[in-house]
Amino acid sequence: MSNALHGLLLAGGKSSRMGCDKASMVLGDGGLTQAGRALGLLRQFCGPVYLSLREGQPVPAGGEGVPVLRDAPGAQGPLAGLLAAFRQAPGASWLVLACDLPLVRPGVVARLVARHAEDPSSPFVAYASALDGLPEPLCAIYGPSAFPVLGRHAARGHFCPRRILREESVPLLALPEADTWALTNVNTPQDVAGAQTGAREVRVAWFGRLAEQRGLREESVITKAETAGDFRREMSDLHRLDLDSGVVRVAVNDEFAVDGHRLQAGDRVVFLSPFAGG
Amino acid sequence: MFQLGNHPINPAPLRRDLAADDCGGFVFFEGRVRDHHEERSVTGLYYEAYRELAEKEGQRLVREIAQKHGVRAGAIHATGDLAPGDLAVWVGAAAAHREEAFAACRELIDAIKARVPIWKRESYSDGQGEWVEGCVCGARGGDG
Repeated sequence: MSNALHGLLLAGGKSSRMGCDKASMVLGDGGLTQAGRALGLLRQFCGPVYLSLREGQPVPAGGEGVPVLRDAPGAQGPLAGLLAAFRQAPGASWLVLACDLPLVRPGVVARLVARHAEDPSSPFVAYASALDGLPEPLCAIYGPSAFPVLGRHAARGHFCPRRILREESVPLLALPEADTWALTNVNTPQDVAGAQTGAREVRVAWFGRLAEQRGLREESVITKAETAGDFRREMSDLHRLDLDSGVVRVAVNDEFAVDGHRLQAGDRVVFLSPFAGG
Repeated sequence: MFQLGNHPINPAPLRRDLAADDCGGFVFFEGRVRDHHEERSVTGLYYEAYRELAEKEGQRLVREIAQKHGVRAGAIHATGDLAPGDLAVWVGAAAAHREEAFAACRELIDAIKARVPIWKRESYSDGQGEWVEGCVCGARGGDG
């Protein structure tokens, strides 16, 4: 049995949206890369710390010298990394952290560690997403009893850890109030630029042609966009929608708005394609 | 008074409200669903509104134009699935004399088309359909 908590930094994501390796990205706090910052965080709480990578993937900047665990065959995504970790140390409890969560502060991890210490036999310790209440599997602790559960799901072709935690009815922790958005991940260079300025949740409603193109009528979006115009560009890039400001107007809280309008948490944003009443 | 109503809309009460003994001229306009659009045969229209903003903006337009021309004005716009010949929008203006009534009615229907967040999806006889987006300037003359 290994008593010390083991740390696993998940850095095997393909980060295609980033156009480069997410883990090697420097986020501006002390010049550390995302991998370097996250490894520092894991070392505060863990004994041995490992880096989870895909087969053949180079070690990201900031991860040099850290022992590497290559993805286990027979699974995909983060689950492959988790299974590789348990094959390395089946009796250990693993504190797992994805490398693209730059808003996670030590207090967020400390709460997971404290809960795990209360009941070390518990297979999963995880937070509920502030957005949708679903489990957050990529900043969580997996106890030794999680290993067979994960293996069973993998054997059935279930590779989504969020879905697995959901199906296992894992009791979830609430994120600390000051860290509500701590588990917002970073997928684009714009996200990176805004990552430390804080994120907010806005509601978006879609009408007409845009609703048809977006494929839904209402959604909640966590954004770091400061203004309606920034948000317009973000939505346009993310969903490949034509939201050209010369044609598509914007409304905030059921009133026409200008692109410079500053967004607040809870705002309702609607993009308005040219009208066709009458 | 500006209203959005599920199809079919009934303009009779609004028409009664707008009529007044000091108004010698009453002009109203009915926008109806046309059975063709750019040489395609139209079998139906679906109107969708961003209700909260459409009602607010519609009220503002009615107030603005009524004040500008010194008329009593109002409008109702339909939402939902309409067939050719169905009433899509009704605009009325009542004034002491016909000039103001004609001018206000014309200006109000143009403003509604240009400024109120309502969209329409046309269905065609070949089974296809598409969202038809208006001209941003509101200058195009087509109705219904």
